Amino acid sequence: MFRHTPLRYAALIILFSGALFTAFTAGYFGMEILTEILILAILVLALDLVAGFGGMVSLAHGALMGLGAYAFVALATKAGLDPWVAASAAVAITAGTGWVIGAICARSHGIYFIMATLAFGQMGYSYFFEQSFFGGDDGMVGPRRFDLGFIGINLNDSRSFALFCLAILGVIYLVAMAILRSGLGRSLTGVTHNEKRMRALGLNVWRVKADVFGLSGAMAGIAGVLAAQHIMFISPKMLHWTVSGEALVVVILGGLGTLVGPLVGAVAFVVMKHELSHVTTYWHLIVGLVLIAVVMSRANGIFGFIEARFRPKTDRMIQSIQTRDDAKEIAKDA
Amino acid sequence: MTPDLSFWTMQTLNALQLSMLLFLLSVGLTVIFGLMHFVNLAHGALYALGAYFAATLASHAGFWVALLLAPLGVAVVGMALYGGLIQRMRKSGPMAQVLVTFGLIFVLLDLTRIFWGDLALAITPPAILAGRVDILGVGYPAYRLFIIALGLGIFAALALILSRTQIGAMIRAGVDNDDMAACMGINVERLFFIVFCVGCGLAGLAGAVAAPLLSVTPGMGLEILIPTLIVIVIGGLGSLKGAIAGSLIYGFVQTFGAVLLPGVASILIYALLAAVLLLKPVGLFPAKG
Repeated sequence: MFRHTPLRYAALIILFSGALFTAFTAGYFGMEILTEILILAILVLALDLVAGFGGMVSLAHGALMGLGAYAFVALATKAGLDPWVAASAAVAITAGTGWVIGAICARSHGIYFIMATLAFGQMGYSYFFEQSFFGGDDGMVGPRRFDLGFIGINLNDSRSFALFCLAILGVIYLVAMAILRSGLGRSLTGVTHNEKRMRALGLNVWRVKADVFGLSGAMAGIAGVLAAQHIMFISPKMLHWTVSGEALVVVILGGLGTLVGPLVGAVAFVVMKHELSHVTTYWHLIVGLVLIAVVMSRANGIFGFIEARFRPKTDRMIQSIQTRDDAKEIAKDA
Repeated sequence: MTPDLSFWTMQTLNALQLSMLLFLLSVGLTVIFGLMHFVNLAHGALYALGAYFAATLASHAGFWVALLLAPLGVAVVGMALYGGLIQRMRKSGPMAQVLVTFGLIFVLLDLTRIFWGDLALAITPPAILAGRVDILGVGYPAYRLFIIALGLGIFAALALILSRTQIGAMIRAGVDNDDMAACMGINVERLFFIVFCVGCGLAGLAGAVAAPLLSVTPGMGLEILIPTLIVIVIGGLGSLKGAIAGSLIYGFVQTFGAVLLPGVASILIYALLAAVLLLKPVGLFPAKG
């Protein structure tokens, strides 16, 4: 089961106060970067839920986010719905799509699961790329942001919007935690550790996977709605598999299956991207090298590395034995 | 225009040409996976590297030298990658391998940009292949026919090597059960190394062959990666038969889809992949049952 160690609480407090501090001190450009981090953080939380805790490495999450953005924009501008209604409908659509993808892919494992989700993601990409109704490869102009005038907040102000995204991220973090602590989350952990045993115990395995994938899809959809409102423009590029690949890189960079790690990863990735692209146009080269180094070091990302440092030595030994056994188990399954 | 014989001939040849290009790429990837259980996402980047090597060599030494040396150059890069990275990643799970090779894509992509710049390069096919050949009343570019012939030739050669030679038998044994093969006295590590280098060389060859057809850009490796992965997953990992079947399916669905059902063509191939994975979760002709 997912637990908060003091270290995780400390990391959350540092991240949260860092975000608040930035929101009240940064200029326009800093605010844009902060909002970008917050939206990416929602997406990678969704991905960590399925990949880190469910062992379902998805390359469809970028597409789910993009689907959320497209559904929101189309419903709000073409159908003329109220932004709140359009957003709720868009999230419901991505949840349903995620559920269906999860249900279909539930039987596949390892590289086949990755490929199956990739297929569904690219299907969505191609669809929106071709459909002139949705603007084709030109994309669409996003609608106005949510109206929070009734509580005196104007989201067109970039600080208010950043704080709004922070609040949403906080809620989503709590929801993800609640999911992991619920019966569904515990079943998911069981399935990840030993699917056959859980099936023998009478658990409906595909149902668990589909439900979690659907919930994760809903979160990705929320990220999509916010992204559409943030940049006020959407294009099929949001659905491309490389977006999912980058999200996966962020999760790994931060620390898979820790919930806190991906948040750290999102901060590190976006800051690294912006800082490096000032210095050199070849920032992908450095990101690639960092990624290779992180994976080869066998630490579980930046946060996993820190956690391993802070853990008492006996714990560390138990952990290393456990991971070795887990690795054997996974190798046997593959 | 009403589809007539020349239309069908033309499109069939186009489909075959695309299939053969994909076959050259996917066969290396699929055998590497079948033998080593290694997921090499950087295979497409090696293809791009092959195209760049070919473009540079062709401008200095002519097309045929480029066609011969570019795959060798890529095989040497493959050797370095094997020694530096792949060997160490062999025992890790598929997730770590996917990520390391994903990182490798970034690195190789930017390295090609640093060495060759962002502009597209072009090479002209040699004079002997520059014209058109008349087939069933259709004037078809000779160079594309050359690709089809080359692909079929490589397929025949690989089929012969795998089924008739000792090293072929060793590779089949390794794909079937590498531990057992090692017990029987086969040097599996050396086998892995050879197969990996040959696979990289074939990717380089595909890049060199594709260079005169498409323009050589840094992004070409990323563009071809997904079709290649689709081919090997539809065909089933690890088998030559799967690679050729997957390539033909992809080539024909893509080509005929684009001319007959333009609206849904790009979705068609992904739908097909999803359908295959649903009905036969390990592909059509997997190496292991």
